[in-house]
Order: sequence, then structure tokens, then C-alpha cells
Amino acid sequence: MNAVETLHLTKAFGTRRAVDDVTFSLPEGSFLSIFGPNGAGKTTLLRVLSTLARPTGGEARLCGVDLKENPDEARGLIGMISHQSMLYPDLTAEENLMLYAKLYGVANPAARVSELLDAVGLSHRRLDAVRTFSRGMTQRVSIARALVHDPRIVFLDEPYSGLDPHAVEIFDELIGAVRGDRTFVMVSHDLAKGFSMCTHALVLARGRIVTFAPKDEIAFGDFSELYRQTVGMGVA
Amino acid sequence: MPRVAPSTFSQYRTLLAKDLRQEFRTREMLTSMGIYALLVIIVYGAALALTAHGVDIVHMGGGLLWVLIVFTSLLGLARSFAREKEQGCMEGVLLVPLDRSVVFLAKATSNILFMLAVEVIAVPLFYFFFMTSEPAAPTLPFIVAPLLVGTVGMAGIGTMLSTITSNTRSADVMLAVLFIPLIYPLLYACVTATTAAIAGTEFWTDFFVMPLVLACGYDVVMLLVCWVLYDFVVSA
Repeated sequence: MNAVETLHLTKAFGTRRAVDDVTFSLPEGSFLSIFGPNGAGKTTLLRVLSTLARPTGGEARLCGVDLKENPDEARGLIGMISHQSMLYPDLTAEENLMLYAKLYGVANPAARVSELLDAVGLSHRRLDAVRTFSRGMTQRVSIARALVHDPRIVFLDEPYSGLDPHAVEIFDELIGAVRGDRTFVMVSHDLAKGFSMCTHALVLARGRIVTFAPKDEIAFGDFSELYRQTVGMGVA
Repeated sequence: MPRVAPSTFSQYRTLLAKDLRQEFRTREMLTSMGIYALLVIIVYGAALALTAHGVDIVHMGGGLLWVLIVFTSLLGLARSFAREKEQGCMEGVLLVPLDRSVVFLAKATSNILFMLAVEVIAVPLFYFFFMTSEPAAPTLPFIVAPLLVGTVGMAGIGTMLSTITSNTRSADVMLAVLFIPLIYPLLYACVTATTAAIAGTEFWTDFFVMPLVLACGYDVVMLLVCWVLYDFVVSA
């Protein structure tokens, strides 16, 4: 089954089409990296796929669930890690995770939260307010938050933004550890990093797909050259 | 991961508990609203100092009290949603499969509780400083009814408007510009009922009951509209 399927997906703001006629299918268990220049529509596409924005036209399905018809069912399938932590700074790490665990209806929220805090290595700081955490630590709690309901698809919206190299390393290790058979869709500006992590690559420019291909069908050199030619030279 | 579909009430309770916990930890809204109410009382003191004997404070008291409540509420309402915007917390909640009206209801409830908490301090202070020169009417305790009805309506409408305006550039100004015209019928009815209760003149019920009924009706209609439209507002 495909984890993500879009058919002529469009999102317009007034007359401007931020996402324009986007069609692609991503098999379950894949890791899709979405690249593109600023304003290409990467984040808008992710917002539409995560039900945070309504599409203007076209269709989108997550694990066969239509976003327009069953948005709540689709929401249960996804987790989101963004450059914003989506954590309440004045609540502790544990309180934040308990909040989301209860909202999602996790059967044993206390045990799940404890397990996740162990997994991200923050059990010792569970009673500290998130406001007191470094950016890297906050992003680790954010990973735990996104996984609290064990989603089948995880969206990553520029997750490395503001992280120092050490925090990036820890973040990559954690993503590797929690990957399992989940599907990941990541928006990134970093071509080399995004390409190294993905199984599929998608380049977006002016809201339209320039390239969408499995990584094993294209070498990084060719891909980066194609990216430069299409995006950098304004062909797209 | 075993999940149990949480009831709407349990999600409401979880969201409300989150708002209360945050506020009791930071006292951000209560402190700012409380100090603002106190400052308004001080300004009233200066404004009325030279005319104290020439002012019919009994018939002006209701209006002055509601000016204090309206502007104090505006301050709190603007703050209440700003906290949700910080770190994208609102989006985190909107990613959860829940009836979005529950988010509105929980936020409106917390705003009602915070506004009432400030009124519990501000109203006796207002009475102490400005109304003790006149003998209290036996109907004075009835001001609780318009205060309660007005607070519920203002918190509901204000919660909706602060959600709408939180994404605008001048959120605070926009909130005031939309809030005051929209609550005007409610404000007018509550000022009339409050003044009737303070004055306690003959036929006071004529000026108390009908405005109060109208205010209740206004609350019901506006809260229902907010409840129904909230999903659209947060998705748009």
C-alpha cells in the first residue's frame, strides 16, 4: 500500500498557487526528502498532507485514507516534527507528553511517556519545564511528542533548523532508532543530508514537481546537477 | 500501540487542565489583568476626584465597571492565544484527531475562569473606592447575574476573535477593533442590568430582567455560532 498518494493536489492562496497540480505516490516504509528553493511550496505541501491546511483542489490519501473525507482518521496516522517544537514551554517534558498522550487516547499514557523519555535520553529532565531546555533537547522531546501515538507516517519540516552539529548527530541517531517500518516525509534545504537519508527524492519549484524519483535510480551528483539546473537557473 | 478513542469530555478536560496548569505556574494572565484592573481603578480615582460630589455615581457605576471589565478582558484574551502560537503549540493540538470545537470550548472556559478570578478582586475594589459614599441598595447582590452572563459571552466571542486575529500583523489592535463592536449588544444589556441592580430604584426589575434575558440570548446565539465556526476558522 502507498503511505502517501496525491492526485493533482493544489493549494492556492488567492490567485497564487503554492502547491500546483502535485501528483506522486510514496510506498509505505519509504523516506521521502522534499527539496526546493524558498517559496517552492514545500512546507505548504506538508501542511496540506498533515491536514493543517485544506487543499484547494485534487486529492490526497494517507495509507488509503482520504484527507478530505476522513481528516480525523488521517490525523491518527501522522506525527509531525517541525522547526517549532509544538511543546508548551511552561509545562514540563512529562506534562507535555502526557497532554498529547491523553489527547490521542494512548491506553497507558504514563508508561508510554516514560518509555519515550527513556528513548530520547531525557528521563532525568522529565520534571523540568521545556523552557529551560536547549534547542537540541527540546527537539528530542519534540520527537517523543510526535511518536507518542505510534504514527505510521512522520512528517519532518526542516527539523535541523537551529540545531548545532552535535544536536544534529543526536537527532539523526534518534530518527534512525525510531524509524522502524514507518514512512518519513522530510522537507529540507540541505541537499546532501536530505539525499543521504532518503529512499525517494522530490524537487519542488513554484509549487510544481520538477523531479520525483527513487534514490536508487539517480546518483547524487546527477541529482544535485539537475537541482541546480532546474531550480537554480529558474527553469522550473 | 493500543489506543482508546478518548471521549470529547476527556479531551476537553485535558485541554482545560493544561491551560489552568500553565496559568497557575506562570500567573501571566492573572497578574497582567489584575494589575491593569487596578490601574484603571486608579485612573478612575483621578478622573472622578474633583467631581465626586457632582457625579451620580450610582447611575454611572455600572458603565464604569464594565469599561474596566472590557479592557481588562481584552488584555487577557490577547494573551491567551499568544501562548498557543508560541512554538506552534496550537498546530500540535490541531494535529490530534479531535473535534476542534473542543479546543474552543476549553479555551473559552479557561478565559471565563481567569476573567471571573480578576472580577472577584476588581469588583469589590471598585465598590470600595467609588460606591461606599452612597448607601448600598438591597438589590446590589444581583449584579452577579449580569457580570456572569457578560463574562461568559465576552470570553466566548473573545476566544473566537483572538483565534482569528492571532495570525494578523497587529493582533492586539485587530482584536479590539472586532471585539468591541461585536459585544456591543451584550455590553449594552449588561450595563443596563448592572446599573439597575446597583441603583435598586422602584421598578428596577424592568431594567434588570429584560436586558439580562437579552444578554443570555445573545450569549447562546454567539457561543453556538463560535462553536460551529471554530473548525472552519482554525482550518482556514
